[in-house]
Amino acid sequence: MAILTVLWEKWIEFKHEWFKITVTAMISPILYLITFGIGMGMDKMVDGHPYLEFLIPGIIALTTMNASFNAIGMSLNVQRLYERSFDNVLASPTPLGQYIIGQMIGGSLRGLYAGCLILGISFLFGAAIHVNVIFFVVMLINGMAFSALGVMAAIISKTHADISRFSTFVILPMTFIGNTFFSLTGLPVILKMLVQLLPLTYASSLLRQLSYGEGVDWLSLAVLVAYTVVFMLIALLRINRSKNL
Amino acid sequence: MLEIINLGKTFQNKKVLDNINFKVEKGEFFGLLGSNGAGKTTIIRLISTLLLPSKGKIRLDGQEISRNSVELKQKITTVTQEYTLRGDMTVTEIMEYQGRLYKIPKDQRRKATKELLTFCGLMTHRKKRVRELSGGMKRKLMLCRALLPKPELVLLDEPTVGLDPFSRRQMWDLISGLNRQGMTFILTTHYMEEAQLLCNRIALIDEGCLLEIAPPLEMIKRLGVIAVDVATAAGIKREFFQNKELAIAYAANLNDPFTLRETNLEDVFIKRLGRGID
Repeated sequence: MAILTVLWEKWIEFKHEWFKITVTAMISPILYLITFGIGMGMDKMVDGHPYLEFLIPGIIALTTMNASFNAIGMSLNVQRLYERSFDNVLASPTPLGQYIIGQMIGGSLRGLYAGCLILGISFLFGAAIHVNVIFFVVMLINGMAFSALGVMAAIISKTHADISRFSTFVILPMTFIGNTFFSLTGLPVILKMLVQLLPLTYASSLLRQLSYGEGVDWLSLAVLVAYTVVFMLIALLRINRSKNL
Repeated sequence: MLEIINLGKTFQNKKVLDNINFKVEKGEFFGLLGSNGAGKTTIIRLISTLLLPSKGKIRLDGQEISRNSVELKQKITTVTQEYTLRGDMTVTEIMEYQGRLYKIPKDQRRKATKELLTFCGLMTHRKKRVRELSGGMKRKLMLCRALLPKPELVLLDEPTVGLDPFSRRQMWDLISGLNRQGMTFILTTHYMEEAQLLCNRIALIDEGCLLEIAPPLEMIKRLGVIAVDVATAAGIKREFFQNKELAIAYAANLNDPFTLRETNLEDVFIKRLGRGID
């Protein structure tokens, strides 16, 4: 099954670079935790919870997003435009749908790994957050959504710089305004509507509710799954129809 | 086995291939020759579905090839002109990945990997990452990778570029041996000696158009089997003759130094593509 082949490839990638991958996944989130959690908001309360407890699910959401997107988007971009090794995959009898699903699962596992690292560090910071199985499932689905976005971005990109631009214009803004560092309660209506268009908003919201010990917001989960499916379909369509990949 | 029907390809309103038609039979060694930018690589990339045609069809065993033709693509492998290897993988991992992509059973892919790497002298480098290999080694690895699934059709786009003469001949032995066992090859190359030695038939391509398809010897015979190179003050002048006697008679009247030799495919290439020096 081609999905297993892609997962094997992602495992080899991880096996060779695990130290760099681990360190890279931790740097930004730790800086966010120190800057926003400890430096600026240790004594603040948001929505009736200490700011650190509000912040950590957002940081986990953005960490899974970044790790998954980079694991797939950046890697596939290099394979396609620089190493050209994607040519060999494209010429092989690998069903392209399975290839994309494999990338999504591989990317989401990398996201889960990075998210778990931050979760562990958060406990060291003394955060009192509830974690259950659904919490990890949400991390995985969030990872799948952004891995699919990574495939889409890598396939659409025409140069190496394009994927960096995509990251700057799409991923970076989402990192800061995707319901991660501040509450949406007091936002102006237009900004709130804009934020609600972002998939990360739903991942942050879901993880936050779960970490507070509240139930699952099925609507948010459905929106996140819908984004995943849409990104996957766009990537599949593009990979199938593009005359000059 | 392979049928190219009215194939055309346009890049940003520029026609790079126009109305290409040819058939390659099973077990044939078919060459595509042409100058740089003639469209040879585009044909290879279209057959391997890396590009999709702007018009026309490509059929393998009577069925049209598309990106999702899983069963048809199982029969084809490609050695591309550029290195298309993952730099972070080791030699063994590259072969393992290929075996998995082509669904080759574990025992079979390990056995074939060992045989191919040993033949190409890469066995001692099997634990090295691709980025640590020399250009020649990468080229050999790409050929090993293409042969691993024992495909019915192998597309070779300048497969021996960067190889030393010994390794090149080693590759020729390997692929001509496989061709004798029934494997079909399509080759693009700028080494005329390679094309003449390996190919049963050759297609001459110029500026995206097919000029001629014939066996290399037939092309040579048509031009004249004996060549006389005359070193004139204006440069080398070349004449072709149907037999040695005619060539000798011509040479007897020459005042300039000359060389009498057998015509080769390079002469045909230069003459047919209009880039002769005379």
